[in-house]
Amino acid sequence: MTQKVGIAGIGHAKFGKRTDATLRELAHEAVTRALEDAKINVKDIDASVIGVACEEFAAQVSPAVLVHDYVGMGNKPVFRAEAACATGSAAIQAAWSLVKAGLADVVLVVGAETMTHLGTLKATDVIARAGDTRWEYPFGTTFPSFYAMMANAHMHQYGTTREQLSMVSVKNHMYGAMNPYAHIQKAITLEEAMKSSMICYPLNLYDCCLISDGAAAVVLANEEKAKKISDTPIWLTGLGAASDTMMISERETLTELRATKIAVEKAYGMAGITSREVDVAVVHDCFTIAEIMAYEDLGFCKKGKGGKFIEEKQSYIGGKTPVNTDGGLKSKGHPLGATGVSMTIEITKQLRGEAGKRQVNGAEIGLSHNVGQIGQYCFVHIYSR
Amino acid sequence: MKFGYVSCLPETPLITRFVEELNNGRLMGTKCEKCGAKYLPPRAHCKCGSADIKWYEAPRRGKILTYTPVVVPPESMSKYAPYMVAVVKLEDKTRLLAQLTGVTLNMLRVGMLVQVITRRVGADRIAYEFKLV
Ligand SMILES: [Zn+2]
Repeated sequence: MTQKVGIAGIGHAKFGKRTDATLRELAHEAVTRALEDAKINVKDIDASVIGVACEEFAAQVSPAVLVHDYVGMGNKPVFRAEAACATGSAAIQAAWSLVKAGLADVVLVVGAETMTHLGTLKATDVIARAGDTRWEYPFGTTFPSFYAMMANAHMHQYGTTREQLSMVSVKNHMYGAMNPYAHIQKAITLEEAMKSSMICYPLNLYDCCLISDGAAAVVLANEEKAKKISDTPIWLTGLGAASDTMMISERETLTELRATKIAVEKAYGMAGITSREVDVAVVHDCFTIAEIMAYEDLGFCKKGKGGKFIEEKQSYIGGKTPVNTDGGLKSKGHPLGATGVSMTIEITKQLRGEAGKRQVNGAEIGLSHNVGQIGQYCFVHIYSR
Repeated sequence: MKFGYVSCLPETPLITRFVEELNNGRLMGTKCEKCGAKYLPPRAHCKCGSADIKWYEAPRRGKILTYTPVVVPPESMSKYAPYMVAVVKLEDKTRLLAQLTGVTLNMLRVGMLVQVITRRVGADRIAYEFKLV
């Protein structure tokens, strides 16, 4: 029970509009790479936790078994995790728990989602039903509308500007252009970001993440196995999770995600660190305002100063806390189930020193922050070398 | 009569009662007889676990906490777009989400006073909405 839990292998499928593959082939692409990275066989794995957020996107009921069977896990135990946009991180916490409890020594975590086949309006409708279907969906709320309302509240209360929102997008596109697995690998200018078409004021097209297909896989193992499998295991040293009200109207404040604050406090406490010790972070930037609130709620800057934080480039490599060095959800894409696992992969690469042009030199402690909906789910993980 | 512009849930006794009252011009919430918690929109059960709830008539005035215009709607709402949604804090401090009608984006500010009114949607649907006072 005292053993640490480590990341022993990582594999990332290309995110994008993947008309060449369905859920099973995307998952296979990620798993093959994770097994190659770990230099193990699928037979060496004891169980799987599969994160797929939505049956309608998968066009498959019981999608976890489909993935588990397709990648050759046979009669091994399979668990499915679901936590909306934070599904991938929920899968990792579940796998961590299996290993920690001694039920499995080596666990395969796969996050996968296929979304683009539904088209934007239909996909928007499916995601809109993550809002309360009795009291919110009947008014035509959408996910962009929830974050836009938080953005308006944040702008009103703290003077955050539309320009600062766009600056988040510019940064994430810059790093996404250096990530071969990203959906959109193209840098943009501030003018382009600010002039893009309006989705929900104050959020325009470049403030919103993409609807993407993709998959990501990691191998988690107990300390003994992780050291045997990998020369550079990365340890999961802190985990936090929290929740919040289903309806936005029940929130006492619209300028923060309380679940983030609760989850990160637990994670920092468990890892025995403070926000100052985080060398590199990936945060949930489903919308640019979400990244600005994350800077504040994770303690990288004071409440209300998130706009200034990006304006002063403190979240760039070389700044106080580099954030979303993989391009974030914004440019890498956000295939719901895959996102959290993809976040773990980026931090693992950074701590291994394998992030190439996007490398934060000497990074030793990393953080991932994955939000489901508007904070109904939140998972924070702390990683160390 | 059904609740909302669109819906995907069946009509239960709670929603039927709520809709009847709304149709008669009353906005009704529920209050827990055990712990005193108030819910608007109403719930059949309190978060304290109690099913001992009583209907109450909610205030109709409040202040805008936030708002946004929806330009890209869910597919099911295509014929109504664009529209404005808002969260309002009512005079008794309960908060409510609904569409805000008769406004343009540039005339809106956080803190503006609104009224909650009954809105008929076609022949067989009903909702509540906000209007600037
Ligand atoms: Zn109660």
